Amino acid sequence: MTGAVLSRRRLTAGLAAALALAGPARPQGIVERAAPLRIGLTPVFLDNEWRVLEALAAHVRGVTGREVEFVQRRTYKEVVALLLLGELDAAWLCGYPFLQHADRLSVLAIPLWQGQPRYQSYLITAENRRASGLADLRGDIHAYSDPDSNSGHLVTVAELIRLGERPEAFFARSFFTFGHRNVVRAVARRLAGSGSVDGYVYDTLAETEPDLVARTRILWRSDWHGFPPIVIPSEASDSPAARALDRALFGMAGTGPGRDVLRLLQLDGFARPAPDSFDSIAALMARVADRG
Amino acid sequence: MGTRLPLPLSLRVPLIVAGLMVLMGVIASQLVVTSLVRSQERQLADLAQSEFATLSTTLAPLIQREDLWEMFDALDRATFQAGRFAPAAASLVDARGQVIVSTRPERHPIGSPGVALIAGAVPLEDLSYDNARELISVRQVVEYQGRPVAQLVIDFNASELAAERRRAWFWLIAGNTAATLILALAGYLLIRRVLAPIGRLSREMSRSGGASQTFPEAMIPRHDVELANLYDTYNAMIRAVEARGQTERRLAERERFVSLGRLAGTLAHEINNPLGGLLTAVDTLKRFPDRADVVGKSADILERGLKQMRDVARGALNVQRNSQAGTPLSAADFEDLHLLIRPEIERKAQRLHWQVAPDVADCGRLPAGPVRQVVLNLLLNAAAATGPGADLGLIAQRDAGGLRLTIWDSGPGLPDHLRPRLLSDAPVEPGDGLGLRLVRDLVQSMGGGIALGQTAAGQNAILIDLPLAEDGTGTDA
Repeated sequence: MTGAVLSRRRLTAGLAAALALAGPARPQGIVERAAPLRIGLTPVFLDNEWRVLEALAAHVRGVTGREVEFVQRRTYKEVVALLLLGELDAAWLCGYPFLQHADRLSVLAIPLWQGQPRYQSYLITAENRRASGLADLRGDIHAYSDPDSNSGHLVTVAELIRLGERPEAFFARSFFTFGHRNVVRAVARRLAGSGSVDGYVYDTLAETEPDLVARTRILWRSDWHGFPPIVIPSEASDSPAARALDRALFGMAGTGPGRDVLRLLQLDGFARPAPDSFDSIAALMARVADRG
Repeated sequence: MGTRLPLPLSLRVPLIVAGLMVLMGVIASQLVVTSLVRSQERQLADLAQSEFATLSTTLAPLIQREDLWEMFDALDRATFQAGRFAPAAASLVDARGQVIVSTRPERHPIGSPGVALIAGAVPLEDLSYDNARELISVRQVVEYQGRPVAQLVIDFNASELAAERRRAWFWLIAGNTAATLILALAGYLLIRRVLAPIGRLSREMSRSGGASQTFPEAMIPRHDVELANLYDTYNAMIRAVEARGQTERRLAERERFVSLGRLAGTLAHEINNPLGGLLTAVDTLKRFPDRADVVGKSADILERGLKQMRDVARGALNVQRNSQAGTPLSAADFEDLHLLIRPEIERKAQRLHWQVAPDVADCGRLPAGPVRQVVLNLLLNAAAATGPGADLGLIAQRDAGGLRLTIWDSGPGLPDHLRPRLLSDAPVEPGDGLGLRLVRDLVQSMGGGIALGQTAAGQNAILIDLPLAEDGTGTDA
């Protein structure tokens, strides 16, 4: 397994050539040392949170004895692609991209925020803008986070469909910022008149960057949806990496660095997925798909 | 000739130096600031080009992909830089003149008209500091794979550069002002020191109430050839003046002796005249001691002759005494003068016209001696200059200013070559001055004036005006 992971990882021409020259015999040392766990992230959630990553790596190392390598990509699509290719052992994704590939991906754990494995999507606008609902945002320049984000795209599109609007025509213009924090920035800086943002990220930012958030306000809150989960390739659900990660995630509160991670992310811990954890998101997907 | 400020040389020269320093300071400041502005222009152009190059490279593919957020983020990060010439705002405008994205979306929203943005910006290649204010708007076309895709407009914050220029100006002005003041002060002190010998010379030359003195050798600045020459010339001039003064004093003394000699001659003649008669009378007395009538007649002759001699002797004595004792002028002085001159007149068979107003006796404040000498001298001159049978006279009268003495004769008047002796202070050559310079000196010593004129009858006359006031000044001819 380790060798397979390595061979898939080292796809660059130089390293591939090096491996070809080495032949079937593996370089000494690699066999004996466990390969690092590769975890995929996007700035959709975590933007320059190096302290979180350091604490998380320390925790995983402490619990599993394995190093952690974080692989950051700009979009969910890129991370999902790497996950499906087996380049990653796990990734922190949104429920929407998970559901898009539910046949090949499995949920390892769902973070608990405010004691629940769920969150909301917010529609935000400038703090001094007179608007009472989504209908008032017609003709806006609207900021989404990621095309594959539930809270940062799907919820708003589905809500517009529910209201009988055509999502592509409702806003004068829309763009993707590929980060919930960026959505807040775009609205705060008045680049966009409104934005779709993850309620968990927004509330966290309200504490860490109150000046930024203060220039915006929440116009509308969505229903509750399943919190963005930690996802692994289904085929590797029983792999040593998956087991190691399982131990690390559910033992998060057991180590100092683990507690730091939870504190920094303002999470309470992790829960096993329930069968209906992402049903609400699936319903939104169905609404959008039904419209064609 | 324009009006000039009455500033002393020791102040004027340092002021001129200070003025030149200020002028130099202004020129130097202008050169430095011009150089600074050029340097800033180069820096500004380099910084702007670097900024445009970096941003254009970053933005071109984003524009192509229409990735609004990344464009905004790239521009936004650029405007958060710190620096001397940092972008304060940036905008992208598409080929249709619409704003693609701006870091000031509240002013330039996405899709709003961006023509004004373009119009208000100078092309990067035309960037100069002349049109620089605190904010300089610059634009350049962004190309992607050789195709123009947008125009990038960056507002650079030039306040640091402007502040730098202001600081440079301030320090230049402060520095130049301080340097100018120091140099002006130094110039003032230096020039004062340099001009000190001139000032000393000037003070010595303009000294009033005393004769100027020569400078001792120790005081002559030998290290400065020009000044030393000046001092030497001054000393030579003072010595020449002193020598001339001494000459004139000797001349006046000689004239006094001449005058006395003439008086003595007149006196001897006057004494000699009756002597013949007196001796004859004495001889008669010896021969006829017993004849009472002859003795009586001879005694009368002796008495008259002796009285005449006594009067002449007294008159001469008075001349000498009064000239020394400062006795005030009185009517008796004119009588003495008449007595003294009459024999000379009679001897020459001339006619003397004596007009002394009664009120001249009030001229008590005038000294008798000098007046008598003046009148006697001039009358003797008149008698000598005119031939036998001539008319000459004295008119003494009071006028508003004091005493006027008119000595006249029927002769041709004072010859031209003698006039300067009487009428001016011009140096005189020793010679037949007939005491004229002595007359002038005496009249001047009494504050009086001398003029040539004519009497009402048309005779040539010398007019002497003597003021009565103690501090009165005479009218010089």
